[in-house]
Amino acid sequence: MYRGRLNPREVVGEVVSKYGCDRGRLVQILQEIQKTFRYLPRESLEEVSEKLGVSLSEVLNVATFYHQFRLEPVGRYIIYVCFGTACYLRGASEVYEAIRRSAGLSNGRSTTEDGLLTVEKARCFGCCSLAPVAMVLSSDGSERYVHGKLTPQAGRRLVFNYRSKARE
Amino acid sequence: MLTQTSLNRILYGSRGFRIRVPISSCTLAAGAGEVYRKVIKVVEEHGVDAEVYRVGCTGLCFMDPWIELAREGLPPAIYGNVKTEQIEHIIKNYSEGDLSEATAVRFKTGSGGPPALEEVDFWRYQVRYVSRNCGLVDPESIYDYIETGGYLGLKKALYMKQEEVIEVIKTSGLRGRGGAGFPTWLKWKIAYEQKNDVKYVICNGDEGDPGAFMNRLLAESDPHRVLEGLIIAGYAVGATRGIIFVRAEKPLMADRLEKAVEDARKLGFLGKNILSSNFNFDVEVYRSAGAFVCGEETALIAAIEGRSRPRQRPPYPATHGLWGRPTVINNVETLAHVATIFQTGVEEFVKHGTEKSRGTKMFCVTGAVKRTGVYEVPIGTKIKTLVFDLAGGSIEGRKVKAVQIGGPSGGCIPAELMDLEMDYESLQSYGAIMGSGGLVVIDDSNCMVDVAKFFTSFTLAESCGKCLPCRVGMRHLSDLLERLTSGEASLEDIEVAQELGESIARSSLCALGGTAPNPILSTLRYFKDEYVEHVVNRRCPAKVCAKLVKYSVDPALCRGCTQCARVCQVGAISGSPGEVHRINYDICIKCGQCLIACPFGAIKKV
Amino acid sequence: MVKVYVNGVEVEVPPGVPIIEAVEKAGYRVPVLCYLNDFFSEATCRLCVVLVNGRVVPACKFPVSDGAKIVTESRELDTYRRMNFQLLLSTHRIKCWSCLRKTSCSLLDLSKQLNLGEFPVCSECPLTGDDCLVAKGEPCLGPLTAAGCSAECTRNGVPCLGCRGYIEDPELWRDSMRDLYEKHGVDGEKLEAAAKFFWSFLPGELKKIISEVSRDK
Ligand SMILES: Cc1cc2nc3c(=O)[nH]c(=O)nc-3n(C[C@H](O)[C@H](O)[C@H](O)COP(=O)(O)O)c2cc1C
Ligand code: SF4
Ligand code: FES
Ligand code: FES
Repeated sequence: MYRGRLNPREVVGEVVSKYGCDRGRLVQILQEIQKTFRYLPRESLEEVSEKLGVSLSEVLNVATFYHQFRLEPVGRYIIYVCFGTACYLRGASEVYEAIRRSAGLSNGRSTTEDGLLTVEKARCFGCCSLAPVAMVLSSDGSERYVHGKLTPQAGRRLVFNYRSKARE
Repeated sequence: MLTQTSLNRILYGSRGFRIRVPISSCTLAAGAGEVYRKVIKVVEEHGVDAEVYRVGCTGLCFMDPWIELAREGLPPAIYGNVKTEQIEHIIKNYSEGDLSEATAVRFKTGSGGPPALEEVDFWRYQVRYVSRNCGLVDPESIYDYIETGGYLGLKKALYMKQEEVIEVIKTSGLRGRGGAGFPTWLKWKIAYEQKNDVKYVICNGDEGDPGAFMNRLLAESDPHRVLEGLIIAGYAVGATRGIIFVRAEKPLMADRLEKAVEDARKLGFLGKNILSSNFNFDVEVYRSAGAFVCGEETALIAAIEGRSRPRQRPPYPATHGLWGRPTVINNVETLAHVATIFQTGVEEFVKHGTEKSRGTKMFCVTGAVKRTGVYEVPIGTKIKTLVFDLAGGSIEGRKVKAVQIGGPSGGCIPAELMDLEMDYESLQSYGAIMGSGGLVVIDDSNCMVDVAKFFTSFTLAESCGKCLPCRVGMRHLSDLLERLTSGEASLEDIEVAQELGESIARSSLCALGGTAPNPILSTLRYFKDEYVEHVVNRRCPAKVCAKLVKYSVDPALCRGCTQCARVCQVGAISGSPGEVHRINYDICIKCGQCLIACPFGAIKKV
Repeated sequence: MVKVYVNGVEVEVPPGVPIIEAVEKAGYRVPVLCYLNDFFSEATCRLCVVLVNGRVVPACKFPVSDGAKIVTESRELDTYRRMNFQLLLSTHRIKCWSCLRKTSCSLLDLSKQLNLGEFPVCSECPLTGDDCLVAKGEPCLGPLTAAGCSAECTRNGVPCLGCRGYIEDPELWRDSMRDLYEKHGVDGEKLEAAAKFFWSFLPGELKKIISEVSRDK
């Protein structure tokens, strides 16, 4: 699942030496690790806990507290459907359902079987005036698109477009 | 303070012709990136002697993407909702002096033609005080900011004694724009009086309220103003370090602030002996991983320290904050106000607002209105003015039912109270809060119980789980609303919701729990009949609550195209091609797919 | 030293100490749960709420200030404390009959203090393990009966007849039926006979469950 043959423990070593063994930098360290792996592999969290000398439960506490962190691998593109107030009132749930259906997701799964797309709910991106909004992120963080004024149809198109893009 | 020459330089640039294209998160989402590229292409291909100029956003989001053309001798003209294919045409016509396609002009030079900004509704009622530069200057250029009078405020402040700086803010009567409206000077004074060699000032740019983005807009469009305010705050309380706390979800905001910090450092507005005074101060931008509760000041401090949850106050951060040191936390907009007050003088600031709350406030109006966007108006402006005059009222054919003010912890104000003048106290007495200033307009296609459910599930998910009433109580409230929207609740449940809500509000640890029941309490206060309808008649008047609606085929409209039968996952729809289709209610799971699929609008919710 | 008034009683305490110290010094009590002096004081349970100058605050954490007027009892406070306690219990799997903390349960103490009958008689019964009457196969109604009588009968070896009334939570009945009566093979008919003593007070649902259990045997 890891990109290349990166070893989580080595990566953590590098990151920690960059930020120092400072408990106060825990969030940044996790952010940096997630940038490399697109999510936080279990071993990396264990390594962080050892290196910083804080308990694993405390590392997990931080990792599960913030929305940004993911503990499971994700697809190539992550479609975040905004469930902020403005978007919700303008029909975000219908868009979300349409996107999930056309991505073929059911039973609480959020990543497609082919591993190309992940669909998740998110909080406001600050583009409320274009509600409903979805943000698409490539999982390595290099690409970012925001799509506004969505309809269920547009949602289905979105899935189609990004799926073919991910195949490239 | 902005002289005519400076203004001209900013407006027209050195080449006498500037084309402004807004590059910020919201305009980019609306397609400003393509517009920007296209403008550059057109200018190059046609050899137009114009400078393509990146600016922030004006807050007039409904007309994104827009561009503004400004050539010396012509009134600067704003074109809203431009499409890439129009650009060539627009530039050509404008260059020839034909402004007829413009949405508005900044000011008029003759009669006729498009209206001036001060004549159009979406501008007329605004007082652009802190947002004066938004959409006018390049947010990534410190020189442009200085041209508009930037860092003059800091210079003035550094000539004063610390007490005098605090005194200026005291006479201005500035109150925090982050929610609670706490007097800014008082916070500063307490921190100033602490004997401690290390103090911090923090700019709270967390902005977790869904439906509010004025902080993001301000920091993306005029980051130096925020930074200048932070430096002044640092000087006033005697801090050595400032931190700007931004969410990682708003990367452009963080990038621009970081750039601003770097540029300011280069020009000596940060660092050692700032502007040859003996004041040393530096700033760091902190990217948070995003959690709503981190906007709360003790949680914000905890987040920087690598923990994550609020703690009981007192001690307040002003005496016992980051790493145990005195710390002042101010909102992005508050700090921008500080800088502007020092630039313009207090007189300019106190002209607007009410007796108790001076000045202006930026409000985000979103939801079911024609012109969504950010509007800066004096505090004490009527809700009506914002919703109907500035934002243009409800979308065709709909009726405004309520306005939700203050984010997930605010309350719903019904349409009958639109005359209410918005200030901290009046909103609170009606069950809402000013919050960060987000107004979400709710129309008759929304169900108030569903709205309450939405906010409750939001706060439940965002509850940090530290204290009992918020953690467990909100779960019960959320379950209860779930039952209400499925038609399984009893009238007794409504009473329980009321009592439980009040108990959570009064006994929670931090203000998240303290305000989390607001949406349910305020909707219960003004829209109890909707709740009762859900219970007694098991009916959702707005036809939103999925479990209480039924889908049916309108035989007059159905043409028998079989679309609906094909999308239905459970096979509840029958009928042969060309015939009116029927839905079998025993099988239907009310997923609503047929409604979306029908090309003739023949499927209706009943 | 600062002067504060606890329910009108003037006391002097060192500045900065939590209100609870002033309350205790004045001879009053407030229910506390999460407060463990220096060991843990994060004010998370919110059971110790008191009014300070009209504001609801946790006594275990909120510091005293000079001249503060503290109120420890009022209807409002009582509502909040009970509400919070019930919220706490709603996440608690009550299985007093097999709980290790049986004889030193702070929840039980609090429940008595707040006058809430949420616990079964088993919570007060000192008989554990092999001594438990149910484990001996006796049709004791302790697991179904609201606590508060210090379990005098069972203490003396007499199976509980449920004279204090039955606990309200149907989930608890199910747990106790499954966990206890079935496991120890209590004779269903005897159980029904015991329950019949106060049968008319028995909630319908409980009647049904008991009948089911007795039929199974
Ligand atoms: C749950 C919660 C979320 C908050 N979120 C924010 C926020 O996103 N931005 C903000 O400026 N203040 C937020 N606040 C308010 C801050 O705690 C604090 O009052 C404010 O930053 C003080 O700045 P001011 O005095 O300039 O208003 C939040 C408060 C709570 C309880
Ligand atoms: S009120 Fe909610 S968010 Fe605040 S401390 Fe308690 S659990 Fe956490
Ligand atoms: S509510 Fe969706 S972007 Fe703000
Ligand atoms: S004892 Fe738990 S909050 Fe005070």
